[in-house]
Amino acid sequence: MGPDGLARVMLKGRLSARTVVDCWRRLEQSLRLAGIKILEVDVSGVSFCGGAGFALLRYLNMGKMTPGAKVSVVGLAEGFQRLFEGFTVQDYDAFHPREPARSHPLIEEAGHATRQLAGDLRDQVDFLGGLAANLPPSLVNRKRMRWPEVRHVFELAGANAVPIVSLVSLLLGFIIAFESAQRLADFGAQIYVANTITVVMVREMGPLMTAILLAGRSASAFAAEIGTMKVNEELNALETLGLSPIRFLVVPRIVAGILAAPLLTCYSVLMGMIGGALVMLGLGFSLMLILHQMAVSVRLGDLAVGMEKSLVFGIIVSGVGCWRGLQTEQGPSAVGLSTTRAVVTSLLLIIVADACFSTITYFLKT
Amino acid sequence: MNEPDDIVISVKNLSIGYGERVILEKINFQVKRGEVFVILGESGCGKSTLMKTMIGLNPPQSGEVWIEGGNLVAAEGEERLRILRNFGVMYQSGALFGSMNVLENVRLPLDEFTELPEPLKELVCLAKLKLVGLGGAANKMPSELSGGMQKRAAIARAMVMDPGILFLDEPSAGLDPITSAGIDLLVSGLARHFGITFVIVSHELASIFAVADRVIMIDCAAKGIIAEGKPAALRDGATDPWVHRFFNREADASHSVQPT
Repeated sequence: MGPDGLARVMLKGRLSARTVVDCWRRLEQSLRLAGIKILEVDVSGVSFCGGAGFALLRYLNMGKMTPGAKVSVVGLAEGFQRLFEGFTVQDYDAFHPREPARSHPLIEEAGHATRQLAGDLRDQVDFLGGLAANLPPSLVNRKRMRWPEVRHVFELAGANAVPIVSLVSLLLGFIIAFESAQRLADFGAQIYVANTITVVMVREMGPLMTAILLAGRSASAFAAEIGTMKVNEELNALETLGLSPIRFLVVPRIVAGILAAPLLTCYSVLMGMIGGALVMLGLGFSLMLILHQMAVSVRLGDLAVGMEKSLVFGIIVSGVGCWRGLQTEQGPSAVGLSTTRAVVTSLLLIIVADACFSTITYFLKT
Repeated sequence: MNEPDDIVISVKNLSIGYGERVILEKINFQVKRGEVFVILGESGCGKSTLMKTMIGLNPPQSGEVWIEGGNLVAAEGEERLRILRNFGVMYQSGALFGSMNVLENVRLPLDEFTELPEPLKELVCLAKLKLVGLGGAANKMPSELSGGMQKRAAIARAMVMDPGILFLDEPSAGLDPITSAGIDLLVSGLARHFGITFVIVSHELASIFAVADRVIMIDCAAKGIIAEGKPAALRDGATDPWVHRFFNREADASHSVQPT
């Protein structure tokens, strides 16, 4: 730096994203010297100047490293000079990073939540109305129901779920048998493990586990499928062709759900009982005794409760999956959000429905 | 493999397809440095698949794709990354990340691959955005941009690391003629002033005549390249009836509606 506050910087070679980092560090150290009034940046020795080099020169030129100094960049190639002048200080100053969204006051938040809840309720009523209007005529009129679609969904949601239902139910039978065997042994009543497993699987765990698996596998799949169709405007296409998305997409899925859930539940109960029986065989009980205990422990009423539950759970899972799919909004994360909502809402409603069933059956003593 | 210096991309005996189905068989072509090279063909004949293979997204059935001296088909690890740094890609829909604003989208490669100080990163992005005519849109979210603006932002993101090659998939698709002409101007300007090589997949005739230095035309039936050359020369002198119809925008007679 000269005595009159004049400083000169000479840059040479390649100004790429890699070399600029080092260049920046060295310039920052040397230009921090107080009192630079005029800075001249000579780039006549630069062989390549990429975006990062351009940014460095512009940054120097705007005086950001030498506040108050007059900075000039000399030796720029002609074409580059034009480009350099094309991006001005005003362009830089016009950019203001977006401020983070302010948090809303409590009342506003409550208002938003209430409005969303009311909208959700209206949507639900809309959906249920549409379903009530479309489901019975479709069941009665053969031409209105898309049976091939029902078969396809039934295969995806029902038949394809058999392996996972088998594994989970078998292990559930194992778990219940081992846990109850330990406690019942204290009373010398291990034989009643068979009764426990049968009653628990038939009345509660069979329908519940099947419904949970269906919620994870099928409610999410329905929501994602219908949601993607909505994002791709396929639902609009259906509407303009005069076809109701509820009749066309939702009804076949609900019918498939109604058929699949009880069948899968029966299967789940059977697998749970097999799991329990295996544990009991291991404990030394004879197969005939186990089967006898299992047969006498359930009444027809227990089976009816289990089947009723599974039917309701099937409707909940497929209905909620479709409903959340239809609610999908625009945007890249919309389908993901619908899928999550479908699973969470179905699980919540399954548990609520189960609690209602338990209360009702307790008072009805069935 | 030694190529002449002015060849940046060399496609050798490339066969692509899905499973048993072969779309293109043993095709060969080269792209020269600084030229605007357009891949043409009717819808569904494998233009975009060819481009995906050239940029390493779609493994070919056989053959090689050499970019700046490296075979992208065989390269792995660091070598693959080195080849990938030579080019940027603009996808048909723009493929901007919806959860980030335009500046963050453009800045992402700088954040991931460079040690540049924050103010310089910001300046690089703003300069690139100004270059593509989006100076005032840095703070906007992709959903707030029109189709043409999204494509421009995607071009800015593709060129933020100063690649020598830009691949553009259908840059004019779905745009009005004015916006489309704006993209053409941008492409020509970037090629002329910065020496960027462009590989463009397109079937927009107006756009092809405006920007292309050289085109190749691929065909489903032939499973290969049926024409290569300057667009004007192909329009005026093509002997292949399909190429002639394409460049002169003549419909296939079987598509006409006949009253019964």
